[in-house]
Amino acid sequence: MIAGGSKLAATGLAHRFGPMAVLEDIDLTVNKGEVLAVLGPSGCGKSTLLRLLAGLIRPAEGKVTLNDAPPSPGKGSSIVFQNYRLLPWKNLRDNLAFALPDWPEPQRRERVDQVLRLVGLTRFAETWPAKLSGGMKQRAALARALAPRPDFLLMDEPFAALDAQARELMQQELRQLVSGPDGPGVVFVTHSVDEALVLGHRIILLSPRPGRIVARLSTPDWGGDPRDHPDWPELRRRMWQQLRESVLNDPNSDFHHFDGRP
Amino acid sequence: MPKTTRTAGAVTRRSGGRADLLLTAALRLGFLALLLAVWTIAARMAPPGLFASPLAVAKAGWAMMAEGRLLPAIAASLTVYVTGFLLAVGFGSLLGIAMGTFRLLGRTLDIYVMALAATPRVAFIPLIIVALGLGLQAKVLIVFLGAVMPVILNAYAGVRAADPELVEMAQATGASRSRILAHVILPGAVPYLVTGARIGATIALINTIVAELYTAISGLGGLLAIYGSRFRMAEYLAVVVVLALIGAIVTEALRLMEKRLLRWRDA
Repeated sequence: MIAGGSKLAATGLAHRFGPMAVLEDIDLTVNKGEVLAVLGPSGCGKSTLLRLLAGLIRPAEGKVTLNDAPPSPGKGSSIVFQNYRLLPWKNLRDNLAFALPDWPEPQRRERVDQVLRLVGLTRFAETWPAKLSGGMKQRAALARALAPRPDFLLMDEPFAALDAQARELMQQELRQLVSGPDGPGVVFVTHSVDEALVLGHRIILLSPRPGRIVARLSTPDWGGDPRDHPDWPELRRRMWQQLRESVLNDPNSDFHHFDGRP
Repeated sequence: MPKTTRTAGAVTRRSGGRADLLLTAALRLGFLALLLAVWTIAARMAPPGLFASPLAVAKAGWAMMAEGRLLPAIAASLTVYVTGFLLAVGFGSLLGIAMGTFRLLGRTLDIYVMALAATPRVAFIPLIIVALGLGLQAKVLIVFLGAVMPVILNAYAGVRAADPELVEMAQATGASRSRILAHVILPGAVPYLVTGARIGATIALINTIVAELYTAISGLGGLLAIYGSRFRMAEYLAVVVVLALIGAIVTEALRLMEKRLLRWRDA
């Protein structure tokens, strides 16, 4: 392992719920400062993969390591959920402080103020979550995940519930937040091809259940807006085609009787 | 910019709430006047001695107060009521939370609690009298037994209704079981706990009167027995009005407490 660089890795990972296989043969590595986008159709086990990486559930086969040790929830990784999951009875400050249980009070307060500033929610520190818009709630959830300075952010379709504008802004914000020298590694689960291309340094494509890795891809350094880059249309077309093929080849899919041409 | 609209919306809503409050108060007073009118007419139409007009009831109540009969009775009843109710809330919440937290305990006990809740607790009064006599302890136990069932069952349901997604979020931050209980499960169960307390408070008041009628006659229930058997309807109804007032005050106090505890909800 490279000195100073944290690494989250899965080898030969498989999982099932009862008799139903949800994930098979997953090998992946994410380094600190890098965004891995996990792209796949609904029900391909993306969320299960994140829970395995976080150490919330134990894999049926294979193993997950965070810096060469098995992962443990809250130690080195944070999850950002699609539906925010803020505690409705705590104001924003207390919601963020909840992620820092073992911190001494002055440092905790300072760190909470810092991440609130980072996501632009300082004015809403004393506000109940019910008073916030979806975008603000997701920024708060992102701040809560960043508060303990995790090496890895595990994001489960975090922007899927937002409207198109808020989603665009949050994607930009996330890119800035993780691009710093001390930025965490990110595993970003999404079912949106565009989002995977915009955010991911690398992309893995999962097949429908059981989820297997059917394609791996690195994105170029986009520079400015990825949609202005000459490679954008071709990459997007290829990702769509692979996604379509993997769904059409799935015998359980509702779509497999189509010929796949749009 | 979204902040301004939101604040403005909140302000409008708040002033609308004040107008609503005034309207409610006016309508309630109007309804009270209507009730008193119906009551007065009914008292005129009833044969003399079987019913009393509001004015006669007020006079009787005042006289009982002046003679020092009403306040000691209220104090005696409130002692039984409040003691039994608070014990029921304390014990019932703890047991319900424990049953919800330790699933095996809950699965073992819940069928018995429900069976006991469905049994008329009045059936136990002879047993209680044999065990504890006719005094304060017996009365408090009768109130406790009535009030504790809805408290237990609601606390149990509240813990079991905990949002699994919030629990998972807490687990993902590395929170311990006790931390999840304190910060996620119990705050989420508050609406259930308050509902249990409110139902319990109503049953506790009923059982206070039952206890005072069936054990050593005392308190407001005692006054009901005395005036009822002598057809002193004015005094009898004065006691009924006092009981209604106690019920209304306690229910309203619990409602205000609920509003305060759940202020994060009204957004």
